[in-house]
Amino acid sequence: MKLTIDGKKIEAEGKKSILDVARENDINIPALCDHPILGPFSGCRLCIVEIQGRRGFAPSCSTYAEDGMEVKSDTPQLRKTRKEILGLILTEHPDACLICTEKQSCDEFKSTIRKVGEVTGCVLCSNNGRCDLQDVVEAVQIDKVDFPSVYRDLEVKKNDPFFDRNYNLCILCGRCVRVCHELRGASTVHFVDRGPEAVIGTALDRTLHESGCQFCGACVDVCPTGALTERAVKYEPLPDGTAKILCPLCGMGCELDVMLSNGRMLSAKPAEKGTVNQGQACVKGRFLIKDVVISPRRILQPMIRRRKELEEVSWEEALDFVAQKIKTYKGNEIGFITSPQLSCEDNVVAEKFAQEVVKTRNVGMSTGFTPLDSLWHLEQKNGISPSFHFNKEDIARAKVIFLTGTDLALSHPMLWLEVLKAVRNGARLLVASPFEIAGSRYASSWLPIKPGSEDLLYRCLSKMILKEGEVGGHDLEGYESFRRSLEKLNLSEAAEVTGIDEKSLRRATEMLMRGKPYFIAGMGLTPSSGENKNIASLWNLSLLCKGKLIPLGLENNQRCIFEMQRNNSRKTKLLSQILQAVREGQIKALYTIGPIPLDKKIKTELLIVQDSYLSGIAERADVVLPATTFAETDGTFVNVEGRTQSYSRVIQPIGESKPDWWILSQLAKKRGKKNFAYKKSQDILKEMKKRIPSLKKPSSAHTKRGKQKFVPLRARYHGTKIGKKFPFILSSDYSLDTYRNLVLSSEIKGFEMVRNARWIMINPEDAKTLKLEEGEGIIMESSVGKKKGVAKITEAVPQGTVRASFLWIEGTEEAFNPLPVRIKRGK
Amino acid sequence: MENILKEFERDQKELIHILHRVQEEFGYVSPPAISAIAKHLKISENEIYSVLTFYKAFSLEPRGKHIVTVCMGTACHVRGAPRLVDDASREMGVDVGQTTPDKHFTLETVNCLGCCAIGPVVVVDGKYHSYVKRMDSIIKEYSEGR
Ligand code: SF4
Ligand code: SF4
Ligand code: SF4
Ligand code: FES
Ligand code: FES
Repeated sequence: MKLTIDGKKIEAEGKKSILDVARENDINIPALCDHPILGPFSGCRLCIVEIQGRRGFAPSCSTYAEDGMEVKSDTPQLRKTRKEILGLILTEHPDACLICTEKQSCDEFKSTIRKVGEVTGCVLCSNNGRCDLQDVVEAVQIDKVDFPSVYRDLEVKKNDPFFDRNYNLCILCGRCVRVCHELRGASTVHFVDRGPEAVIGTALDRTLHESGCQFCGACVDVCPTGALTERAVKYEPLPDGTAKILCPLCGMGCELDVMLSNGRMLSAKPAEKGTVNQGQACVKGRFLIKDVVISPRRILQPMIRRRKELEEVSWEEALDFVAQKIKTYKGNEIGFITSPQLSCEDNVVAEKFAQEVVKTRNVGMSTGFTPLDSLWHLEQKNGISPSFHFNKEDIARAKVIFLTGTDLALSHPMLWLEVLKAVRNGARLLVASPFEIAGSRYASSWLPIKPGSEDLLYRCLSKMILKEGEVGGHDLEGYESFRRSLEKLNLSEAAEVTGIDEKSLRRATEMLMRGKPYFIAGMGLTPSSGENKNIASLWNLSLLCKGKLIPLGLENNQRCIFEMQRNNSRKTKLLSQILQAVREGQIKALYTIGPIPLDKKIKTELLIVQDSYLSGIAERADVVLPATTFAETDGTFVNVEGRTQSYSRVIQPIGESKPDWWILSQLAKKRGKKNFAYKKSQDILKEMKKRIPSLKKPSSAHTKRGKQKFVPLRARYHGTKIGKKFPFILSSDYSLDTYRNLVLSSEIKGFEMVRNARWIMINPEDAKTLKLEEGEGIIMESSVGKKKGVAKITEAVPQGTVRASFLWIEGTEEAFNPLPVRIKRGK
Repeated sequence: MENILKEFERDQKELIHILHRVQEEFGYVSPPAISAIAKHLKISENEIYSVLTFYKAFSLEPRGKHIVTVCMGTACHVRGAPRLVDDASREMGVDVGQTTPDKHFTLETVNCLGCCAIGPVVVVDGKYHSYVKRMDSIIKEYSEGR
């Protein structure tokens, strides 16, 4: 369509507001309540325009552009009205500085005077210089406010982690309310009261924390004023630059803008144009990044243990020492461990180093128990051809989504946002989970399944679907035997085990038959031992429904390791196999770049730890080699969709830390290897493309369909035996709340409030029986080990079930689903 | 509470109706009621609170058996409404917006009821009292059973 705005001829396409069209064409129409990521609201009325042939003014944010429209945004009448409207808005906002004639010279000469309790003008506000309201005042050119102004003198709310809320600065634009509700689905902040009393707030004025806030920070980022401010930057200077990084704290790979001042990291914000995240992030990416990079735990210098103490040494000395030591062992006596949190570059060099320098077959790259791995094992064993890639946007278009084994909003927050979009478009959401997941109120149906009985539930669903007759896959190999294997399944007996009655099953079946469901399978499906039967029967179910199975990984670069292994002629081992070999004494020296359990039985003559933090296993090392974090080096990650993204260094390495690939190449050189001559991470690209084929096609989120068939199912699950000794069933939670050797909630206070890795969640009734108080120290024991934690009493877990974080680093390596446990008080 | 919720579908459009029903039944909408409604309709408590505080018809605290509303609109104001409010407040021993400890009276004010000609106006439980000169007689009228 063609239209004109302020005389400028414009061509536009699609259904867009006049305001958006104007923005695209660099025409600035003042607007306060509108925001590009939100739907129209027409609250502030600043964006008014005149449209030829229409009477009065129209809000451009909520009026669609039409062919032939003639729009004026800057007439004397509009200017006058706008000034009045803005004047009214400013009666409730400190305006002295906004309209001060000395503004310019004040800006030049003032120093930091923001450390004040009350913000009564821009110079005292941390939003000064990055404020939408300031920009609008500038554009509207208001120089006096004709109405009496009121300072509401509301108490500044400082009781929540990460950001403060000063509603004395709020102009009630409703952006925070809308982003929280529309986009994040949290519905934490809303308009409260009305008329002059109206404020933004929560039910009964509770803290955000008590009101279901995810601390995603989306509200902070859309607020056009200083009402919502991130505490970490409150007293910091304005950034003098920004740089992009990829968040390494989960498999999404959100793009973040790091704010810098003099080369120093101030904070990070989600990048508005981020491919995966489009201006959104989760609490980890939004508020933790700086504390992860600039942690007091960072190792600044190489260290060697002498007379029981770790002593700082030069790189030269440390590298010589390690090179010498490695030589004294036979290849297979050395265990070598890398991690799915490292970049593709690091992992490719590490694997090559292990094979060509250390010459060991004992290489562990991953725990190997994610649904991604399990589906791959099925592929190897049964010759099925699943597609591992997907586009997250496809989820938003799904009609039915089945979430199982994952608390998606925590494990893959950006996928959850897509699920929310789908639900808003009318999709049905089905959740099968032993505990209530975040946002479960969006589910059409929640199947509160007994931990561990997932396999059986999928079989029951398959049987129900077969009964209905209209199914997919009857022409596929294995269909007949699968169908027959279900004949013997007694639904009412099964209901006893799964805890899901036939009525709920029927409802679920009806939903699944609405067409092409997406099955999103998470870490909660990992069984306590043996192969993953859950994934096998879920695969069959997905074929029956002609749906798509999305197997999730755990860590940010899980996909890279997965593809390396899938494309490997030489097999690497599972981490647990390496650790077992250590315990049995076959491995005498361990070189680890990834976190490993702090198990006392994991003891070697020589322990080399290459990490960024002096915590966890690093504290026991004989040699510590300080590695950079993601912010101090270049690299590539493959995210959960299979999307390849690269990132570059944004700050100088902390202390003398070096990129992982650099450390390994230097060691290789010391051992006389010539084919490790990498000077920068880009030099590794060629080898990387060979090892990780999907990298050849950038952002290859393609879907490949090959031969499909049903897989034969083994004997099924008959319920976890709980008894007097172990009366509870543990259902583990696998959200990734660590980075290398750093446990995020242990080191970052605000995060501890939001999601403490030490929480052991228990139902209020059970807590009463055990006489447990919230926050009390408890010990959880199973037949294979124990874990200390603190009680978190919540109705989100049913009676008889406890939920705890899986923390590899802390030695709970066997604690998979489901595990009978007992709980007692103690520290 | 459960029985009330059973009368309504699990549809967000029912929110206002449920709130009215709860208000009618209990005289106010309590925090446990808010969370029960939230669970029933699968929406956040914050959302409900927002609606609750928007409409004057709902209250968050128990209200008295009799609601005494004194008009403070301009016309009633000049005809002595402020004194009526003071008197009422003294007689009942509560401030505007509060309820007596025995839950008998709630004192409220309103800005213009649209019948300025008969001001000052006091409304008790929906019944209009015109040309009001004294509060004590009105209060006495409704003090039965106190
Ligand atoms: S941080 Fe996120 S969840 Fe919390 S109030 Fe803001 S937008 Fe809502
Ligand atoms: S807090 Fe900020 S975003 Fe929310 S209504 Fe107020 S000014 Fe708008
Ligand atoms: S969703 Fe994942 S990648 Fe994105 S900010 Fe959160 S932890 Fe980082
Ligand atoms: S931006 Fe259009 S009404 Fe506020
Ligand atoms: S001022 Fe009291 S009814 Fe109008």
